[in-house]
Amino acid sequence: MVLEEDTFKEFEKAVGVGNVNDGEVITDAYAYNWCMEMFNYMDGKEPLPYSSRPKAVILPSSTEEVQKVVKLCNKYGIQVKAQSTGLGPWNCVSSNNSIVVDLRRMNKIVKIDEKNLYCVVEPYVSGAQLQAEIMKYGLNCHMPGAGPQVSPLASATSMNGPGFTSPSTGHSSRNVLGVEWVLPDGEIMRLGSWGMKNNPDWFNGDGPGPSLRGIMRGWAGAKSGLGIFTRVAVKLFPYPCSTDFELSGHSPNYDFKIPDFMRLYVMDCKNFKRLDEIIIQVEKEEISFMCSYLSGLAVMAIFANSFEQMMELMAVGGMKAPLVVIIAARTKREFEYKQKVMDYILEKNKLANIIGKQYTPYPVFYAEALRSNLGLHGFIATGGFQSTLGQCDTAKMCLNSATLNVPAKQLFIKKGAVANDFGEGVWMTSYESGHYFHAESPTMFDQTNKHSVKGTAQYFERSNEIGLVKHLGAPFFVEGDRWHDMFGPHMHNYHLWLRKIKEAFDPNNIADGGFYITPGKDKKGALKK
Amino acid sequence: MDEEEYERMIQRCLRCSICKWVPQIQVKSQKYATICPAMDEYNFHTYSGGGKIILALSYHLGRIGPSDELRDIVYKCTECGGCAVSCKFLNTLEPLEIMCEFRERLVKDGCGPMPAQQKYIEAVKKVNNPYNEPHESRKEWLPKDIQTDPNSKVLFYVGCTASYRRKEMAIATARILNAAGIKFRLLEDETCCGSPILRTGVKDAFLESMNKNLDAIEALDVDTVVFTCAGCYDTFKVDYPLHRKYNFEVKHTVELFDELIQDGKLKLTTEVPLTVTYHDPCHLGRNAERYEEWDGDVVELMPLVNINIPKKPKRCGAEGVYDPPRNILKSISGLKLNEMERIMEYSYCCGAGAGVKSAFPEFALKTAQIRLDEAEDTGAEILVSACPFCSTNLQDAIKEKGSKLQFYDINELILMALGMDIKKVKEKAAEVA
Repeated sequence: MVLEEDTFKEFEKAVGVGNVNDGEVITDAYAYNWCMEMFNYMDGKEPLPYSSRPKAVILPSSTEEVQKVVKLCNKYGIQVKAQSTGLGPWNCVSSNNSIVVDLRRMNKIVKIDEKNLYCVVEPYVSGAQLQAEIMKYGLNCHMPGAGPQVSPLASATSMNGPGFTSPSTGHSSRNVLGVEWVLPDGEIMRLGSWGMKNNPDWFNGDGPGPSLRGIMRGWAGAKSGLGIFTRVAVKLFPYPCSTDFELSGHSPNYDFKIPDFMRLYVMDCKNFKRLDEIIIQVEKEEISFMCSYLSGLAVMAIFANSFEQMMELMAVGGMKAPLVVIIAARTKREFEYKQKVMDYILEKNKLANIIGKQYTPYPVFYAEALRSNLGLHGFIATGGFQSTLGQCDTAKMCLNSATLNVPAKQLFIKKGAVANDFGEGVWMTSYESGHYFHAESPTMFDQTNKHSVKGTAQYFERSNEIGLVKHLGAPFFVEGDRWHDMFGPHMHNYHLWLRKIKEAFDPNNIADGGFYITPGKDKKGALKK
Repeated sequence: MDEEEYERMIQRCLRCSICKWVPQIQVKSQKYATICPAMDEYNFHTYSGGGKIILALSYHLGRIGPSDELRDIVYKCTECGGCAVSCKFLNTLEPLEIMCEFRERLVKDGCGPMPAQQKYIEAVKKVNNPYNEPHESRKEWLPKDIQTDPNSKVLFYVGCTASYRRKEMAIATARILNAAGIKFRLLEDETCCGSPILRTGVKDAFLESMNKNLDAIEALDVDTVVFTCAGCYDTFKVDYPLHRKYNFEVKHTVELFDELIQDGKLKLTTEVPLTVTYHDPCHLGRNAERYEEWDGDVVELMPLVNINIPKKPKRCGAEGVYDPPRNILKSISGLKLNEMERIMEYSYCCGAGAGVKSAFPEFALKTAQIRLDEAEDTGAEILVSACPFCSTNLQDAIKEKGSKLQFYDINELILMALGMDIKKVKEKAAEVA
């Protein structure tokens, strides 16, 4: 038993028998996560895929139970790390004095308001589950590139969240409305219209009163370093086409009846200058469901369900600057309009759509696009995959960042640390019809090969440094004290403010801030109050 | 799975949680989106397919040692293989095979199987069946009016569960074979196929059972072995050839009877005005896909990127037996088939498999009740399947839950469509029991 017997019993009383476990068998599985080996290496530790082992794992089933657990953590001075569906190292504890609160039992879709286009979900509703339910109303939701199996609540409140449908569904931070939040001291905070004294409802995230969205999640989210989110309202969008979703056959070679009003375009823009111009032309027209730049290899990957199949698509992979656009419509007239616009852009820019001529994807591609499953194809080459960059800016800035990153990546390709994508592996998507853009550099490595893990970690650090030196903005993996303290002085000393927020909201330093920021300390090393 | 492959795979779980759900593009509702019974019951990630891969790695690295807690978690899995289907939609990991290998390792280290499983394994060693029933009463299910032919080329391998516990399945099979004019024989000295032993990781005892059966069958002039038990069928079809080749054909009764119906040799003339839903047994569905032999090379295409040449077949459950039972049901006049949400390769498990029914009966029942909810939601009045384990567990759950559903084995529906009085078959089963 890792917890003191009395402490264990108090936790158990809070969440029920069978929902607390501090045995090594349960807790060790929570120490493991994807890419943990890389973060361990960056922290000067052995590159193993395990973090510290949590003292216990606790499964609350309601906001009240979460509140009780957090208050007990304050009482006993134990840190807490919350997770929803749990993908990624930021779900792991950063000290041996932390417990994991696994929110799996909080899995209700609380409300679907089809008229006002929002829904309210608990942490363990997956994107695919939510989408299946809202499709019944002809609606769609935003899902991050991590895939439909992850939690919309986690993405909306706590993570950076670009996705393949971002042109039409935005970024996770722009989708969050009312929020229910258990603060690190155990108090409950209700944000937006859900916080109104009279007639509270979930429809607005930023009022009444000053918005706390920036504090709550900012751009990249606090990854549970600032408390636990127990319910959230997120925006809904019209489903882009007919919701008839007819799959047949068997996994993985499902056949799919492509909806009548759906069309894919893959065009080689030849270079980044033209890509920048063309992607903006497409997005200005507000017609795309998906609009992404992918490297040639990445285009091969999204069309394949195995590496062997991917290798059969070499002809597609030869493109220099492929732009992938999907248009979809609910009526024939809308579809014809969107096609006419695309035809005009193609003609104007002397572009050719290779789909249906040089290449015809399997129909299941369209099913995966509609169900936001394409990001997971990044794993099929080596099994290991992570992204550097993470810029959120203009298309030009994102492409500039991608260009500057190429030589750094090539260096580590030469060293045999990362798989060879010629250094050009980049995914860039528009947000909200070109309102802004996101770029990241998916990098394939072998998580079981220490040389590869170390080299990939070094490449990530180099990529972050380039972002800093070349003024490209804060990338994805500016997480934890070391990186915030490095970037902060170059970015309006944001790290000082971030730390002040942490100290103000978490006076006892209870929320595990390993992937966020930790409070400042005085000369004696005590937490600044 | 050899040592090298096991070690390579246990280091590669992405912890993506896809193993907890049906394939993502098959999610049709929130209620029926999950695939893993152990996760649905126990909630901690450790119980999932991915969680157990992590445990295998932790055990391999010595981070955790053998313990009762480890054994309980590893054995609280029906080995239904749903996790593997979902994982392999894009990935190349083998969660189910890792699980089987991990259990074998635990057994070698004295940390398995569960005591209740050890008990039935001893029973198999002693009396050739896991129910500890007398071996000499194995054929007592056989009604006197059934015609068998000791010289037939077709062998009906009855299996322990149909012989001792689900006699109505054995009787129905024999009657249909007689009705179709298919001469068949029984093994004089049938012994357990070994499936319940194999799934617990006790390899030596399984191999003993396998060799007894294959020796006995190969001593006869038989070209086809027919099974009504999905577990025996899967074990003969998929597991035996990994250890010993044989030269006869294996067929589940749904395959044989579907052929006979298509060929007009089995005429289903009586109307059966029922609304049914069909439960795909894991052993007849996704797990009944044979391993394709692959003798290729893993070639390093570039640093860190390997490719299998030729392409290595991925066993994703696509070759399970899905159409024959549905064809049979569709051949029955007046019968309406309402499908559940989770079917075929992404069917939800009944909860009985891999020794769970004996070691963790409550877990088995709760899993079956989840499946009953799904069956009830189709509006069907009858739940039908083709496996004696599923039959037992689902019927137990119907009683426990007080469900209005009735359970029938698919062969019983065929008997009804042949104009036979199903009550008499049930009564006969009770009588011979």
